[in-house]
Order: sequence, then structure tokens, then C-alpha cells
Amino acid sequence: MAQSCVNPPKKTAIPALLSINDSVAIWISASKNTSFTLGQRKQFLTKAYHFVKAEQMDSLQLRKLTTIALQNLKLGDTTLFKTRTTEALTLATRHNDSFAMGDAHWNYASYYSDKEVYDSAYHHFNSATTYFEKSDYISELAKMQYGMAYIKGRFKDYSGSEVLTFMAIKKFKNIEDYESLFFCYNHLGQLQNDIYEYDKALFYYDKAIENLNKLENNGYLQYAVINNIGDTYLKKGDYPRALQNFNRLLKDEKLKINNKGNYARALDNKAYCKLLMKDTLQVAKQLNEALRIRDSLGNKSGVVINKIHLARYFTYAQDSVRAIAVAKEANRLADEIRNSRDYLESLSILANLDTQNSITYLKRHIGYSDSLQVIERKIQNKFTRIAYETDEYIEETKHLAEQKIWISMLSLVVILILGLLLFIWFQKTRNSLLLFENDQQKANEQVYLITLKQQEKLETERIKERNRISEELHDGVLGKLFGTRMNLGFLEIKGNKNILKQHQQYLDELQTIEKEIRDVSHKLSDNIDSSQISFSSIIKDVLENKSKLGNFKYTLDIDDSIDWHQITQVFKVNLFRIIQEALQNILKHAFAKKVNLIFEIENKNLVVTVKDDGVGFNSNQKYKGIGMKNIQSRINKLNGVLTISSQQFKGTILTIKIPKK
Amino acid sequence: MNPKKYFVIIIDDHPLITEAYVTALKYYNRHNESISFSIDTAHDCDSGRQLINRALKSEKHSYIVFLDINLPQSKDGKILSGEDLGLLAKKLLPNPKIIVSTTLNNNYRVHSILKSIDPEGFLIKNDITPLELLHTIQTILKDPPYYSKTVIKLLRNQVVNEFILDHFDRKILYELSIGTRMKDLPSILPLSNTGIEKRKKNLKRMFNVKKLDDRQLLIMAKEKGFL
Repeated sequence: MAQSCVNPPKKTAIPALLSINDSVAIWISASKNTSFTLGQRKQFLTKAYHFVKAEQMDSLQLRKLTTIALQNLKLGDTTLFKTRTTEALTLATRHNDSFAMGDAHWNYASYYSDKEVYDSAYHHFNSATTYFEKSDYISELAKMQYGMAYIKGRFKDYSGSEVLTFMAIKKFKNIEDYESLFFCYNHLGQLQNDIYEYDKALFYYDKAIENLNKLENNGYLQYAVINNIGDTYLKKGDYPRALQNFNRLLKDEKLKINNKGNYARALDNKAYCKLLMKDTLQVAKQLNEALRIRDSLGNKSGVVINKIHLARYFTYAQDSVRAIAVAKEANRLADEIRNSRDYLESLSILANLDTQNSITYLKRHIGYSDSLQVIERKIQNKFTRIAYETDEYIEETKHLAEQKIWISMLSLVVILILGLLLFIWFQKTRNSLLLFENDQQKANEQVYLITLKQQEKLETERIKERNRISEELHDGVLGKLFGTRMNLGFLEIKGNKNILKQHQQYLDELQTIEKEIRDVSHKLSDNIDSSQISFSSIIKDVLENKSKLGNFKYTLDIDDSIDWHQITQVFKVNLFRIIQEALQNILKHAFAKKVNLIFEIENKNLVVTVKDDGVGFNSNQKYKGIGMKNIQSRINKLNGVLTISSQQFKGTILTIKIPKK
Repeated sequence: MNPKKYFVIIIDDHPLITEAYVTALKYYNRHNESISFSIDTAHDCDSGRQLINRALKSEKHSYIVFLDINLPQSKDGKILSGEDLGLLAKKLLPNPKIIVSTTLNNNYRVHSILKSIDPEGFLIKNDITPLELLHTIQTILKDPPYYSKTVIKLLRNQVVNEFILDHFDRKILYELSIGTRMKDLPSILPLSNTGIEKRKKNLKRMFNVKKLDDRQLLIMAKEKGFL
């Protein structure tokens, strides 16, 4: 008859978290000290709790809180345990601390498995698994899986239990947790035991021992596993070997003192084994001793088994009255602790013994085993559902996370695209603005050039006309006048002296007229250079105009060596515009009394200086007006450099340096 | 003694003027019977050239040519002005006495005509009176040359000046004065643009002109009698 000796993983405080300086830790450890009374220990825990609450809540404090809650449970204060754990869980959820959440669930799971409310325990193990999985706590995760495996095994979901156990084993192997591995293999052995695969069970128990040997201090665990092995042999029907194992245990003097539970179990099993070997010597005594020990330990399931064994002994001894009595007790107790296996067994014993009521017992047996099956199935279904719900939850979280990623990615892309579009739009507008400005500038210059050409043409035509008139006067009129005068001179005029004198006077007069006409003609043709509107004269015109408008005096100095004919028209137009703009600025802002405009050649650069004695401005000023911007852009176009130095109320000096092409 | 015979060719586009010359010659002939004139007149370049060519064929030996400078150019475009006719006459006729009589008082042109034709008489029409014309005829027959007052003034001016201007300098100044553009000059003169610029700069320095524009230079050149 198998009996579990190993319970689901119990939580112990995590020592790493508790440093000496930590007052909370001190209080917690004080509460563990059995030398204090229970009341004192509870007080210590409450103090620890208040310390934790006083601190800023973080993951470390959360762990402490769950530890305190667990310690409360250990001290038997279940109400406080529940309050603390609920609080820890709420806080953990608020802080989104998945480890603490798992930890709190573990607390619950421990609590419920202690109370043997296995479906709730299973639920909390499962939840804890989810959280530990999320935060990659392998050891804790494996422990949870083991816990679930244990519960599943209890409800005969052997394959499910096995799968979970192997999952846990894999993780424990990775982190070389031999103790846990021992528990796992032991559990596997028990599972095999339950499904009557005794050789396999023995194999797993061997493995369990193997892992146990790797531990320095294996304590009572060894006794438990040897008990289990003996149990298996017993079940297998290999009584001598079973006996051998039980004897081996009982030989150990320390067992009786240190581990009464296992001692009683070994004693009970040995007696039962002997009974099965039909050797009744000392069996009753040993069974009774075991029963006494177990009773004193309060090990009810042990007591049930013990009583069943006793019932079997009495049956064998044909003391049916006592057998029935003991069996009834066992049956009642099994019912009380809801141990269905033992309950059924006690029922079948009773059915055999109590012939009068055997039908009732049998009916109860059948009814119970049926209902048991239903319950087991229900619970198994429940486990599946829990697992499914968890899976669903995980799936949903995953889905949500994916959705989140998608949404953030999409929004990022959208933002990027929008940004790009905005950028492009901005650039485009800027470009079009620049293009527009450029076009306008070009158009302006074109207009200027055309005007210039037109003016030149006009001038040329005017000169042509003047020349034509001049020539006409000179060649035509003058020639004819000359001819007439000559002919008149040679005319032999008869008359008195007076008339002759007058004649000569008129001739002289004619000569004077000729001279005058010739002068007029010359002046008309005196068009030197005026057909060529020189750049300097244009500049002078502008300066003259502005000076009249702005009421200032001006000087214009142009270096002789500047050859304007060699400079391209575009260059001159730009230069002209720059000067015009600069003068406009002076007119608008400077209120100058005197303006100097100087053109010089300096190291192959044309240097233009516009100097005024106006109000000036702060030359560090960042803001530039359109005028200045225009000047700058034109200078840039000519690859020139602009420097401005200005002093408040002392005037401004604008210097432009342009490389001559 | 047979009077010495002169063959006179008068070329002027104004019939009034040719008539005046004829009258003057006749007037002179009346008072000097030792000579006689055979007079032909032409009023344009073409007929002027014809006269010169015909005179050559008739193998006459003493020639006087009255020559206006401003004449409509010949139809074939070979003779542009009286200056060309003068050169032609000088080339074809034996030892002709040429009297340039013009309304021109452009110093450059006067100078260049003096250089090219080297006429026996150079009259600026405005200078002369009937008396002076007679005097001119007298002088070129007896002891040439005869220059009218304006020409003499010009010559004097140039002698006094220290400037040494060659043909190209004068031409540049002249072209500029009639409004030719700098950019067109290289096609008129056998000089490069930079060469012309250099000469111009030189001229400005010579005439002590500081200003950048050419106007001042031309004014100075005119003042000094180069234009």
C-alpha cells in the first residue's frame, strides 16, 4: 500500500534576501525562533510587517511581505496569512512584479495543499507557473510544475503528472537541484507504483537515491525512499526483499528517535509484510506500536493504513469482531480525511467480514468508487480547464503584446511617414519659394538689361540722328552757302564804293554764318562716348538720385585700373543692384549726411566700400532685412564676401569683396 | 609764246562750288595771259574718276585738281571719298597740283589727308574768300604749297605738342570720337582688344586724363588738335 511521504514543495524563506542589517529580516528570523512563545513570534511578525509597510514598496519589499505571510501560515495564523498574501498579490499586481505575483500564488498553493484543497492548490500552482515563466525563475517554475504533478498524481492523472514531472526534472537538472530531482524521481516511482509498474517504480526510486547521494545531508529522505522501495516490493509480492528493506530501516537506531513517522511506517509495513508471509510473530505488537506512534504524531492517513493492516491481521487471526471494529474505525477515519483509496479498501474489508451488511458495504463501495471516478474525472477536467484557461491567458497576453508591438510599430511607421512628408513638403515649399525668388531676381535683371539695351539703342539712334543733321548742315547747307558766297564774290558788281563795300560786308557776313553753322554741326556731332553708357556713369546717376532723396553729400572714387569693359554685364548688374540696395538702406535707416562710395582693386578682388555717417546699428544683430538678404545672396552669387561694421550713431561701413573674373 | 596750258579737274558735289572755282580760274586767267586753263568739272566720284582717266589718255602734262573730300562714294564702292580720288590722281597723273578744298575741319582727317595726298593746296572752305582763292591759285602755280589758316593752325598745334601719336593712336581716337564701340574696334583696326586697351591707357596717360570714361580723353585730344 503506497503512502506518500513527500508533500508538495513547501516554501521556506529565501535567505539571500535577508541580510543581517535588515530589521525586517531580524524580526522574521526571530519569529522562527522556537524559543519564543507563539504569541511573541506572532508579534515579531506583525512588527516585521509594519517595517515592510513603512518602506518604499519595491520588489524586495514585496518578497519580504510574501515571506511574512508564509511565516504567518507556519505559525498557524491562517486569517492573517490570507490577508497578507492577498495584500502582497494586490501590491505585486500594481507593481507588475511577476515574481512577487508568482510568489503570492505559491503561498496560496502551499496553504491549499496543506488544507488538501487540491483543486484550489492546483489553480494557484498553475497561476504561479505563469508568472514564474514570465520572469524566468527556473527553479521556482520547476517547483510549481512539480507541485502540479504531485496533485495530478493524487487524482490519478498519471500521464499528466508524468509529463509535468519530466518538465520539472529537465529544469532541475539544468540548475543541478538534486534535492528537487530526488523528489521528482520519487514521485515518478510512486506514480509507477500506483499503476502497478513495480519494476519501473524501482528504477525511479534508484534514480531518486542516486540524486539523494549527491546531497550532503539527506536526512529523513533516505528513510522515506527506502520505505517506498519496500512498499513496492511488498506490492510486487516480493516479500523477502520488502522485508529486507524494512529491516534495514528499522536497524537504524537513529530512525526511531529522529524520524518517528518513517519508523512507524517501516514498523507497520514490516508487520504487514510478515502477515502476508503468514508469520504472525510479534505482528500485532508491532502494528499496535506503529499505530500508537502515528496516533501520537497525528498522522491520520498513517493511522488509517495502520488500522486497515490491523483489520487484516484480525481477519487473519479470525477475530472478526475486532477486525470489523478496526475496519469500521479505519473506514470512518478514511472518510474523515477523504482518503478514498483507504476508504474503499476498508469498505471491501468490511464487506468481506460483516456478512450481514456486506451488500450494504458493497453497494457503498461501488457507489463510492463510481462517484470517486466521477469526481476524479471532474477534477481532471478542472485541471485541464485551469491549464487551458492559463494557456488562453498566456495566448491572450501574447496576442495583446503582439498587438501592442504592431500598434507601436505601425504608429512609428506612420509618424515616420508623416515626418517625411512634412519634411518633403517643407523642403518643397522652401525650394519653390527660393525658385520663385530666383526667378523674380532673374526677371528683374532681365528687365534691367533690356532697359539698359533699350536706352543704349535709343541713345544710338539719337546720335545717328544728330550726326545726320550735322552732316546735312556740314556737307549740304555749308557747301551750298560756300558756293553761293564764292560766286557772289566773283560777280563783278558795278556800283559806287558804298555798294561795293556793302557787298563785301555781306560776303563776310555769309562767311560768319557759315562758321556758325559749322559750329552747330560740330556740336551736333560731338557725341563722344555718350553712346556708351558707362557703368561708372550709371553708378554716379544712382548716387546722385539717392543723394537728392536722402539729402546727403556723396563722393565717388573709382580706381582707374578697373576695366569695366572686361567685366560681364551680369556681374555689373548684380553689383549695381547691391549698391542700389545699400544706398536704399542708407536712405531708409541711416539718415546719413555723407556717403562715400569707393571702388578699388585689391589682389585681383574688386572691393567696394559704402561708408556712411548715419545712425548705424548693432552689427551682431541676427535678424536681417530683405535688403540685406538680397545683398548677401547677390554677393554669394558672385562668390564674394560681405563684411559690415557698424557703430551706433557713428555710421556703417559696408565692404564687399568680389573676385574679378 | 604760247600760254602754258593747265588742265584743270574740279571735283565737288555742289555745282555752285564748281562754278565758283571756274569763275575764279577764269578771273585769274584774265589777269595772267601767260597761262590758259582747260577746265572739266565732276560732281561725284565716278565722274571724277572718269575725268582723271580721260586726262591720262590725252597725255596732257600739267594738271590742277580741285578736290572736295566729302563726296558720294563711287558706285562700285572702290572710291570712298575725295581722298581716294586724290590718291588716284597722284598715282596716275604726272606731277599734278592738287588743291584739297573741304569743309572738314576734323584735325584727324586733315592730318591724314596731309599725310596721304600731300596736296599743293589745302583749303578749309570756311577760311577762304574769293580773294584768297585767287591767291591760292597764284601760289600753287608759282610756289606751292598753300594752306589755309585752319590747316596752318593745326600744323602749328601739332608741332608745338610733344605727343607722338602714330597712325593707330590717331585712328583709335578718331573712331572713339565718332562713337565706335570698343568692342567693334578690333574689326576696324589690325589690333587686338588688349592692344587697343593698352594704347588707350597710354593715350590717357599722355593726355594726362585721370577719369575713367573716354569722354575726357577725347576732349583733351580735340583740344590738342588730334581730332
